[in-house]
Amino acid sequence: MRSFTIRKWKGRILASSLTITDVEAGYGSVRVLHGVSITVEDGESVVLLGSNGNGKSTLIKCITGIVRPSAGAITLDVDGVTTDLVGMAPQDIVGLGIAMVPEGRRLFPALSVEENLVLGAFRKEARPMIAENLDFVFETFPRLKERRGQLAGSMSGGEQQMVAVARALMSNPKILLVDEPSVGLAPILVSQMIAKIKELKDQRAMTVLMAEQNFNQAIKIADRGYVIVHGEIAYEGATAEDLSNNDMIKEYYLGA
Amino acid sequence: MFTFDLLINAVAAGLMLGGFYAAVAIGLSITFGQLDIVNIAHPTFVILGSFVAFVINESFGIDPVLIGVVFMPIFYFLGMGLYQIYYVSFEKTGQESLSGLAFFFGLMFILEVLMILAFGVDYRLVSAAYIGETLHIGPLDLPLRMLIPAVAATLMTIAVVLYMSKTFMGKAIMAVSQDRLALQLMGADPIRVKRIALGIAIATAALAGALLIIIQPVEPSVGRLYIGRIFAIVVLGGMGSISGTFFAAILIGVVESFIATFYGPSWAPAVGFGILLLTLAIRPQGLFGRA
Ligand SMILES: Nc1ncnc2c1ncn2[C@@H]1O[C@H](COP(=O)(O)OP(=O)(O)O)[C@@H](O)[C@H]1O
Ligand SMILES: [Mg+2]
Repeated sequence: MRSFTIRKWKGRILASSLTITDVEAGYGSVRVLHGVSITVEDGESVVLLGSNGNGKSTLIKCITGIVRPSAGAITLDVDGVTTDLVGMAPQDIVGLGIAMVPEGRRLFPALSVEENLVLGAFRKEARPMIAENLDFVFETFPRLKERRGQLAGSMSGGEQQMVAVARALMSNPKILLVDEPSVGLAPILVSQMIAKIKELKDQRAMTVLMAEQNFNQAIKIADRGYVIVHGEIAYEGATAEDLSNNDMIKEYYLGA
Repeated sequence: MFTFDLLINAVAAGLMLGGFYAAVAIGLSITFGQLDIVNIAHPTFVILGSFVAFVINESFGIDPVLIGVVFMPIFYFLGMGLYQIYYVSFEKTGQESLSGLAFFFGLMFILEVLMILAFGVDYRLVSAAYIGETLHIGPLDLPLRMLIPAVAATLMTIAVVLYMSKTFMGKAIMAVSQDRLALQLMGADPIRVKRIALGIAIATAALAGALLIIIQPVEPSVGRLYIGRIFAIVVLGGMGSISGTFFAAILIGVVESFIATFYGPSWAPAVGFGILLLTLAIRPQGLFGRA
């Protein structure tokens, strides 16, 4: 299998980071995020931990423009170009090289696996690389190659999660946002999926932000992370060890 | 009396009739089947295509098929504009289901009235050298006024199927009603995708209309005769399947031709719905539906 350990892809030095500052957001009159600030530096795997309903998905949706923050800033730095993402449409944000694996996967159920993957390469920058990216994801997930003609809606949960991750990779992203890959999957499949994402991140020199409530799974990929409680960052762990040793996390996740 | 000659001529006439039905149904297959837009005015755009062919053919003697093809881009922009109005007035505010239907109903009547004001209620014809000709192959009689539209419709279907399956935009059109947000996450603007799709749908009406007026004389409200049949074809073929629509159109054409030949033409229009109901009882997703 090909391996790219230096932070280069197709000869270009890639540098990409996200900075989220004092973001407030919600739905209608319900405030969900209260002044959230996080950063994701180039090449990092950052995890956003928090149990159900604390605002993880809302924050991810703010980054991709699905939810518009009422205050605060979200900036993307790619190869020295800084873009303010607030107010941009999701398709334009995705066009800058951010891919999102949404909670619940959101495949196109009546399209085949391959058609789903091809749509992943819709953005202009990804189109010239469609053939090699398709080879790459089929190499990564051989199961999808076998099932390329099957309707996505008729696949098992684990296979659908593979399609969702593979489809995001087809857009050749610099930053990959993954929202709760563990939902609805057996623990063994979650472990495999997280290991795969970690491997992909290294191979493709991507920057990863993953929202997850399953601490024991998320910690496997984390360089560092945040804990979000009731829409506020309650703890910031500078390393995976910090996260593991933190009392609050133990209380929340490890039943200590 | 049931003879071999009668049989194969009934089949041939049905295939040609079905080919023409496909030309009218393809556009609706895109709007209704792919976009979930109940464009009840589609046959009226087909009639508009017929009158464009009539006017230009009468003034300049240009071949009606050529006129249909040349007007496809103009109808494409018409369709894009139509979607924009529909989007701003209904979809944006989430009122597309009922008010949207009323919109297309209204559009149908307005277009019809405008055409009546412009052309009157008389039946109009086009002229072309081949319209009175018939190709004889053994026992087969193939009137060119049926054969040429069928061939043109088949070519148009192939072009649309290729566009849908081979281009990014075509795939996005297939996906847009399944999950609009997910499509945005692919980097596509769903409004633009739907605008292009409705543009293509209305573009097919330009050619379908030209083909119709080659087959038979046309007056402004003749489109209404086709509404039920065309919706039946789209549902029968399977929502979202363009090639399914084509085969369903052929099937309806052949069966109608059989009924007309062996039982009498008055039964033919009921056939489409009969087949539709029968199919839906056995295969709710239609003949070629995906899910
Ligand atoms: N579309 C929505 N409309 C209204 N409230 C929502 C919506 N989505 C999420 N919420 C609310 O926002 C809060 C945070 O939800 P979410 O960001 O999905 O949390 P998490 O991903 O951490 O489980 C919850 O109280 C949830 O009920
Ligand atoms: Mg969530």
